[in-house]
Amino acid sequence: MKNKVKFQLSASFVILIIVCALFAKYICPYDPYEQDLSIAYQAPSMAHLMGTDAYGRDMLSRVIMGGQVSVLSTLALVAIISIFGTAVGVICGYFEGKIDFVVMRLSDLCLAFPGLVFALAVAAILGGGIVNAIIALALISWPKYSRLARGLTLSIKESSYIAAAKLAGDNAFQLIIRHIVPNIIGPIIVTATLDIGTMMMEIAGLSFLGLGAKPPVAEWGSMMSNGRSLLQTYPWVVLSPGIAIFTTVVIFNLFGDRVRDEFDKK
Amino acid sequence: MIYVLKRVLQLIPILFAITFLSFAMMRLAGSDVVEQKMLNTGQVVSDAQLELAKEELGLNHPFYIQYFRWLGNLIQGDMGVSYVSGKDVFETFKSKLPATILLTVTSILLTVLISIPLGVISAVFHNRLIDYIIRFFSFIGNSMPNFFVSLLLMYLLAIKLDWLPVISREVSAESIIMPTLTLAIAMSAKYLRQVRTTVLDELSKDYVVGAKARGVRFSATLIFSVLKATLVTIITLLALSIGSLLGGTAIVESIFMWDGVGKMAVDAITMRDYPIIQAYVMWMAIIYVLVNLITDISYRFLDPRIRLGDKKS
Amino acid sequence: MKKLVAMMLALTLTAATFIGCGSAKDKADERKESSQVGTKSFVFGDTTFNSENEEATIDPHDTYCGWACIRYGVGETLFKFNDNMELEPWVAESYENVDELTWKITLKDGVTFSNGKAVDAKIVKDCFEDLIAKHERAKGDLAIDTIEADGLELTIKTTTPKPTLINYLCDPYGCIIDVAEGNNNGIVVGTGPFVATELVTDDHLKLVKNDNYWDGDVKVDEVTVLTITDGDTLAMALQNGDIDAAYGMAYASYPLFSGDDFSFSSTATSRAFYLQMNYNSDVIKDDAVREAIALGIDKEGFVNTLLNGYGYVGQGAFPDSFPFGKGVNAKSYNPTKAKEILETAGWVDTNGDGIREKDGKPLTINWVSYPSRQELPLLAESAQSTLKEIGFDVKLNVTADHGTIVSEKTGWDVYAAAFVTAGIGDPMYFFSTHCLADSTKNRGGYSNATLEEMATEMNSTFDTDKRNELAIKMQQQIIDDDAFVFCSFLRMSMISKSNVTGLVAHACDYYELTADLDIK
Repeated sequence: MKNKVKFQLSASFVILIIVCALFAKYICPYDPYEQDLSIAYQAPSMAHLMGTDAYGRDMLSRVIMGGQVSVLSTLALVAIISIFGTAVGVICGYFEGKIDFVVMRLSDLCLAFPGLVFALAVAAILGGGIVNAIIALALISWPKYSRLARGLTLSIKESSYIAAAKLAGDNAFQLIIRHIVPNIIGPIIVTATLDIGTMMMEIAGLSFLGLGAKPPVAEWGSMMSNGRSLLQTYPWVVLSPGIAIFTTVVIFNLFGDRVRDEFDKK
Repeated sequence: MIYVLKRVLQLIPILFAITFLSFAMMRLAGSDVVEQKMLNTGQVVSDAQLELAKEELGLNHPFYIQYFRWLGNLIQGDMGVSYVSGKDVFETFKSKLPATILLTVTSILLTVLISIPLGVISAVFHNRLIDYIIRFFSFIGNSMPNFFVSLLLMYLLAIKLDWLPVISREVSAESIIMPTLTLAIAMSAKYLRQVRTTVLDELSKDYVVGAKARGVRFSATLIFSVLKATLVTIITLLALSIGSLLGGTAIVESIFMWDGVGKMAVDAITMRDYPIIQAYVMWMAIIYVLVNLITDISYRFLDPRIRLGDKKS
Repeated sequence: MKKLVAMMLALTLTAATFIGCGSAKDKADERKESSQVGTKSFVFGDTTFNSENEEATIDPHDTYCGWACIRYGVGETLFKFNDNMELEPWVAESYENVDELTWKITLKDGVTFSNGKAVDAKIVKDCFEDLIAKHERAKGDLAIDTIEADGLELTIKTTTPKPTLINYLCDPYGCIIDVAEGNNNGIVVGTGPFVATELVTDDHLKLVKNDNYWDGDVKVDEVTVLTITDGDTLAMALQNGDIDAAYGMAYASYPLFSGDDFSFSSTATSRAFYLQMNYNSDVIKDDAVREAIALGIDKEGFVNTLLNGYGYVGQGAFPDSFPFGKGVNAKSYNPTKAKEILETAGWVDTNGDGIREKDGKPLTINWVSYPSRQELPLLAESAQSTLKEIGFDVKLNVTADHGTIVSEKTGWDVYAAAFVTAGIGDPMYFFSTHCLADSTKNRGGYSNATLEEMATEMNSTFDTDKRNELAIKMQQQIIDDDAFVFCSFLRMSMISKSNVTGLVAHACDYYELTADLDIK
């Protein structure tokens, strides 16, 4: 019972964040891109709860708008890699043989490069931009899911209910959709939710290095990177996005833990 | 021994693929690096000068010729010269690698020193106040991007408290503290949870209960049996952390001006200095693959279950 | 009991972790004191001394390494510029323009290299011959035909008339070095107050006092120049005392050094932040659009707020402290007028989205710039906002890859860049590189017959006053055409601890460390 409350509580925070991200435009008290040099570098006040930046833009609005970019791009990234990785893994595990061999060697290759190193290289080729950062991280992250899905598929493939379904005349596609996927989806979901926080930090990290989102796009990593030199003079410009990213990652991590507990119980 | 040999042989196609991919990736970018670097200086260059510079760098040849040349040279230990500094790439890489390795090693040591004791305490005092406190901090550490940690540390330790120098221009005990701390905080946060889980698992096993029943001192059980049993987990963690560290150092090195290969790579990316990026990606991958190989092999000697069992277990 | 043991075990291990940190405070003090005792040593942090800027070494005959050679007091040129960018004697005493192609330069008596060797015309001749053999840009600039040496008398003949030969010789590549000493790992021997002893590219340069310095006593014994590319680290290093002075500080960090512990030396330079219009673009070809852009840049706001006042609002191509920079009139920020002009020209917002259209095409402009100069991204974001107000949709592309983009005829509309317009103290340099039909940096295909005529006249004019007058007319022409918009000029600053004296910023940005440098 107590765990259920915890789960609901963390889930409602997650929903709150996603709603904020989706409707950022309507929540922002000011236009996050509207400049007014006459009110540059104002300390937090009732009018501007998080102060203003070098261009006199409202930090709170920029943090909310930045949430849209950071949160939605992270969710998109995790969705892409978990769906694609799982699909590939299930196909490899089910059919084995040549496809399996080729795909697994390909994933070996992706895994041969240490995570961020590969992402840096991809970002270097594609150039900056949030979409390219997502592509770079997707390229290094999908093998994790395909390996997990492949292993799980292999382990349940021989079970009696699959054999039974086969006898009942299900074809491969039906088998995968009806019987395999529902049985392996738990661990995948757990991995994916636990991945959200990490991925968010990696996207922000790439942006911080100038390889992700570019100004004036409000994104937490690049906002922090641009405001770095203001840490001592106008700390709110750096700390606001920093605290935002920290809080969001905490919420998603808590949620991930709860999701894991829920599935572990079963 | 046959296993070791087999694993080493498996390495060859992977190494080949790594070199090919490293080369192909960098050539795909195809930006005009020569003009780029001349423009950066805000001065004038004529088209003729531009052509001359391109020719010197061999950029006017088709892709496949560049590739075969590169491969041929690579075997002879020649990775070309940097577009930007004009220095030998392999020499540059070699001169900066020790700094990164040093940082990696100190970070791993610090991680071990933080995560194992705290993980053990957390497990032994399962669901007590100290366990909650440790888990709370681990959670915080796990949710802070390392660039944020770096900035806070720099501000606090170097400016507010004035304990440490800001720039790590020479390798010294005091200049390595902040980059090491930054890397170790995030890793410890992650790994102490795994140490805790493993120890908890181990503590609930029959032999621990049995030992207690036989009147063996708990401390002895803890040190001689439980920790020994968690050794495999710890080694896995170390191997894993090498991967994330080799990449993670890039951000931290650039923030703290630590003159290693990570900073070199980030600088090279902003300058589009392809030979340097290439060398970095390729060597990092090779080092990573080798570390993984050594880890896999060491498992077999540490854990009899893997040694005796088949591959799938 | 068992808890206690576990606790002890953990504590011992944790304690071991912090042993290294325990004595850190003492070490920090030691670190600072050691620099005070005995010899006077000076640590200089510089963001630009790196291979990205083509300053991998201090050999003036290699790319832009001459900048490092002259800035850190290793090399000196024949003449130098004062703050009005006028020539003054340095290694040379005087010059005489014998005819259009011949120049006679008399060297100072008693100038020596740091190795003790005296500087005579023969050595200078060897140095310049090595320079034009190795350095493409210098070879083109100088157009040297022959050099003759006789005692302290140097006679240079050029292949074409070069009214600005002496100015070009003041470019950092013109540092007089003893080529007989060769290039020892990038280290050369010059006549300056400091002698380089150790060089690690992109990391540091170590210098010691030149005991043989020909022009007075050098006050500082040792200098270390540190390459610190990150502006933020540079700021903290200066605050923390790791360095004594800094070049290239980010504007946003300036307020940190406003107290009595630090001092600033600032000066106007001719590094202009300007916009170049692309005449190959259909939108930009429209005179009204260019004029509206020129009226829509808030130069004052950019300089006063975004650059913290560390800059000068630009009118023409040169700062008005220069003799050829006075009396040029440019448009100032006037959004109302800009809107009127666009309205009259048929650019009207018909669909109410805030962006004007004409013949169904929206008023969208692609703004290309690059991040390696900290002012440019600020300018881009500021302009995006002020132009939006007028009805422009500005798409920013601030990338290190700007060169490739603007080398194409289309795909960009406005290019914002930085350029040292009067690097050699002569106005023609900017026009011949940017504004004429055959200029290499005339990226937007601008052409104006009147301007070409004036340029031809300039090339055969040797009289300085006449040249200045022409330069002002030429600037007015390109501004009236709205082919270029000069937004601001860099106010270059060096910040040092207050006990540092003799560190003075110069308008040409060439001279930094001199014999006057001292630590009190």
